[in-house]
Amino acid sequence: MTTTTRPTVSRRISNALKQNRGRAAIIAALAFIFLSGLFTMDTGDWVITVLRGLAVGAITFLVASGLSLIFGLMDVLNLAHGELFMLGAYVGWTVYVRPDTFMDMALPVALALAVAFCAPFLAPIAGRLSLSVGASRVVGVVLGVIGFLGAVWAFRRFPLSIWDLEQFDKTPTSDSIALQQGVQTVPEPAAWTGSAVVAIVVLILGVLAIVAGFAVVRYRTRVPEPTNARNLIPIAAAVGAVVVLLAFGDPMTDWLYSISTTYRFFLALVVALAGGFALGALIEIALIRPLYDRPIYQLMMTLGLGFIVIELVREVWGRPEFSMPKPALFAGTGDGCPGEGLGGLFSGCSTVKFLDTRVRMYNEVFIITVGVIVLVIITLLIKRTRIGMIIRAGVQDREMVEALGVNVRRVFTMVFALGVGLAAFGGVIAGPALGLSPEMGSRVLLLALIAMAVGGLTSFPGAAAGAVLVGLLQQFVIKAGSTGIPLPWSDQPFQPSPSLVPVSVILLMIVVLLVVPEGLYGREE
Amino acid sequence: MTSFAPTRASLWSRYRLVAVALIAAVAFPFIVGLLSGQSPAAVLAGEAGNAKFLQGLAIEVFILALYALSYDLVLGVTGLLSFGHAMFFAVGAYASGIMLKSFGWPFWVTFIGVLVAAVVNALLFGLVLPRVKGIAFALVTLGLSSVFFIVVQSSELAKYTGADVGLQGAPVPEWIDTNVHRFRVYLITLAALTIAYLIYRAIVRAPTGAVLLANRENEERALSLGYNTFWFKLFALVVSSLTAGVAGFLWTVQQPIVTPQVAGLGWTVAALLMILIGGVGTLTGAIVGAAVFRLLEYYLERWFGGTAPVLVGASYIAIVLFLPYGIVGTWRARTVNRRQGLDRLRRLFGIRARRSQ
Amino acid sequence: MALLSLSEVNTFIDQYHILEGVDLAVGEGEIVALLGRNGAGKTTTLKTILGLTPAASGTIEFRGQSLTNRRPYEIAAGGIGYVPEHRAIFRDLTVEENLRIAEREKGDYAKRKDMILSLFPDLARLIELPGTKLSGGQQQMLAVGRALVPDNDLLLIDEPSEGLAPILIQQMMEAIKELSSDTTVLLVEQNFIVASRLASTYVIIEEGKSVHAGAMADLVDDDETIMRFLGAA
Repeated sequence: MTTTTRPTVSRRISNALKQNRGRAAIIAALAFIFLSGLFTMDTGDWVITVLRGLAVGAITFLVASGLSLIFGLMDVLNLAHGELFMLGAYVGWTVYVRPDTFMDMALPVALALAVAFCAPFLAPIAGRLSLSVGASRVVGVVLGVIGFLGAVWAFRRFPLSIWDLEQFDKTPTSDSIALQQGVQTVPEPAAWTGSAVVAIVVLILGVLAIVAGFAVVRYRTRVPEPTNARNLIPIAAAVGAVVVLLAFGDPMTDWLYSISTTYRFFLALVVALAGGFALGALIEIALIRPLYDRPIYQLMMTLGLGFIVIELVREVWGRPEFSMPKPALFAGTGDGCPGEGLGGLFSGCSTVKFLDTRVRMYNEVFIITVGVIVLVIITLLIKRTRIGMIIRAGVQDREMVEALGVNVRRVFTMVFALGVGLAAFGGVIAGPALGLSPEMGSRVLLLALIAMAVGGLTSFPGAAAGAVLVGLLQQFVIKAGSTGIPLPWSDQPFQPSPSLVPVSVILLMIVVLLVVPEGLYGREE
Repeated sequence: MTSFAPTRASLWSRYRLVAVALIAAVAFPFIVGLLSGQSPAAVLAGEAGNAKFLQGLAIEVFILALYALSYDLVLGVTGLLSFGHAMFFAVGAYASGIMLKSFGWPFWVTFIGVLVAAVVNALLFGLVLPRVKGIAFALVTLGLSSVFFIVVQSSELAKYTGADVGLQGAPVPEWIDTNVHRFRVYLITLAALTIAYLIYRAIVRAPTGAVLLANRENEERALSLGYNTFWFKLFALVVSSLTAGVAGFLWTVQQPIVTPQVAGLGWTVAALLMILIGGVGTLTGAIVGAAVFRLLEYYLERWFGGTAPVLVGASYIAIVLFLPYGIVGTWRARTVNRRQGLDRLRRLFGIRARRSQ
Repeated sequence: MALLSLSEVNTFIDQYHILEGVDLAVGEGEIVALLGRNGAGKTTTLKTILGLTPAASGTIEFRGQSLTNRRPYEIAAGGIGYVPEHRAIFRDLTVEENLRIAEREKGDYAKRKDMILSLFPDLARLIELPGTKLSGGQQQMLAVGRALVPDNDLLLIDEPSEGLAPILIQQMMEAIKELSSDTTVLLVEQNFIVASRLASTYVIIEEGKSVHAGAMADLVDDDETIMRFLGAA
């Protein structure tokens, strides 16, 4: 029998200092780098560097937050997270620049969702079939393949007015330029190929077959969760959306083209968040869940998913990088611009004069604001709500949470969905500042991984702090690199090429992991 | 888990599979030659044709298998999740290129130099071993290899590495020129792979291997049994780095250009995919995985062109879902069931089941 | 009829055969002690009942309903509370949150707060503290208190006295005695004295099999059985 011994107060203080010596040293070193800039740079340069750093940090945070919540709660390192960020950016761009394409896509998607939401009602039927393992697999795969082929065939018969990658004046690039210059016209609406009814019916049957195949494999032996009336709500919502789209699709498209880009931008944000959430839930249920007892295969799964997303984007939107115009609210020029001081923030100008420098409203003010708002909302969610409580508890001990009668799997799905939703949302936020390219995902994933490692892999506040540190360090190194870093052993200042900049953040990560392997905010296990 | 219990079996039964595979591999170019109407002499002389082309593809598979094998020792056998394994390969590839081209070193000196560089590289990874475990080790190694990747790609070192474009024009002695002596290079890479495989198998079956496996299953327990797991892990890293370094060296020797791609995360992922496809910790799986990986990529690209990467991604997902322990791993797991099934079938036809030993 | 009954339960963890046929019955209102040496499979028995380590074969019935092929949360939500060994409370949650998280229906905590805090008065003054700041004994009380928040019919308590000072053991025993007035308890206990004072019946598990069961009163005088299955008493 042992009893816990209480260390004396002085021993505790010295222990705390000893334990946190590494952390303190790293934070002091970073603070020294950032503050020393104050003496070697102009105030304006310093301010703009800090703001840029915070903006990069904010975007990194939107990806890292989901990554760290998912990793913390379910031990899944989602290597597709960067690509889902990128996918969000492209989908957001479509809503923003080509609302007609988005509206055309919305109809089949809503229809498919309406059918997919019926899955809980199929599960009990699948359970009663009592097939053998082999038979259920064969039936499941056959149903899935047939359903997939049918759905693709039907989807191609739906009207879809889309850009053309082959003709330069019809590519996404020229769409962006047209919107930027305010000369965009509403494209001709597309028509159904053949009978609309056939296409709709085949799509419904196809998706139904996929869902049924999935249910047959999944619920062969397992007792399905009891179905309840709440499962009808999403079905009703999706059916409602289908009806509205069928009836008012074209006038809605015209209306979307007529409203200000600011509203369309916020619509793009909402679509990305909601779409990412739905996609995340789907990925977790269909692909991640079967692999919880084989973690390394989850890595491979998310990698494969990432490949597919990249190729999908290349295929649909093309390989070249293109820009996303800034929404009208942040693009004002002309009379009274740039705005001055704090009042200038609300002048609707694209830039504001502030502390001897010109700050871009979108890149430096809006992005940081969004980052802070998301941080506050997620923190409140984690600290104040029941699901947040379950997340915090589950990070430590999933089994015990489940033993209390909480359906942890459902919380997993929601957290995964939330993480993907945030990443997709982040993609739209990043779009107007960074432009769109199929490579944007892997770049931000590296930064987010580093932020996570620096802050502590499973710690949400750690991910936030890590993202800010990474963003700041990166921008300061870029700034210092452009003027040259004096080296003690050489007369010439060292001017690293831009490609060398990421080395600084990586070195930060290596140093942090070696000094405090559990990260700045982590706790030793 | 697969067990590697040492067996006292005859030489033949121990090396049966290896011997058969070797004979098949040596005969392969000639069979292809005969099928496409080339005489064995023409194949030996390295005349252009199907046989020569497929040998080229096979050489790549052998080198990739060597590389995958080295990752299997680190991840599959020892249980160290490294995300920087590409660096082991890339150090070999770049060091040999720079030594041959920029330093003008002779071929064999370069080879020794590559081995030294590989050991140094492994020691660098080993340096962080005591500090970080699990995913933190993965991230530190990812960091180290990313720094190497960025440095290799940077314009500062373009004189040596060729920056973005890659290192090209490393002088290779005529006797190992893959364009002239294709079959010889084929045999050399095949020999390298075979030797590496036999050494690895010996290591895994030796007491050292048992400690490595114990470390993978439960490091605490291995420690409590009195093994200083650090030295064993370092040993695995050094052996692995030497193998991957040799693979990189061979890559430089037979490829016209070494692109920075071989130092990137994608290359580590390739190693991970190969051993996951084949079966983690099975060694043979690494070789099978490398073949499937390269051939899948090549043929999907050839048949489907632009959409190939989507199909590659989809095949990975399918493999994960339907071959839960990789090709070799799933095969081994099912052999038992299949034997039982065959026995039942025999009984059905009134044949007495063969007595199993 | 028994509230909970296990028959011929077999459980594997990875390739290890941990439970090799466990039979036991817990009657309504009883305190049943699971006895046995270290590693005999007592904890696994509790985890198997909850579905945390699912049984490979055999039947587990709770209130006449089968629990096989059910997920742990469904089993727990059916009215089974679990107090794991090593005081698995949530360190990042405050004492109050540790209790609140166990709510199965809104208002559970408000309804039973007073009862729990009167059982463990220590917790009342720690209510705002995070789990990290609690001593071992306080953590154990919290773990028991947490299982009392929802309306449970059966409590599975694993080693409540482990690592506690004698005075705390005394307090813990009183608490268990008190709460057993309206709840059934299945108790794993290494400390035979504690077990014998609390439980009315016992089941001995030896190498994954239930080998002996009966009334506690008989076991206390049966030195031979105690020596054979439990070592020196």
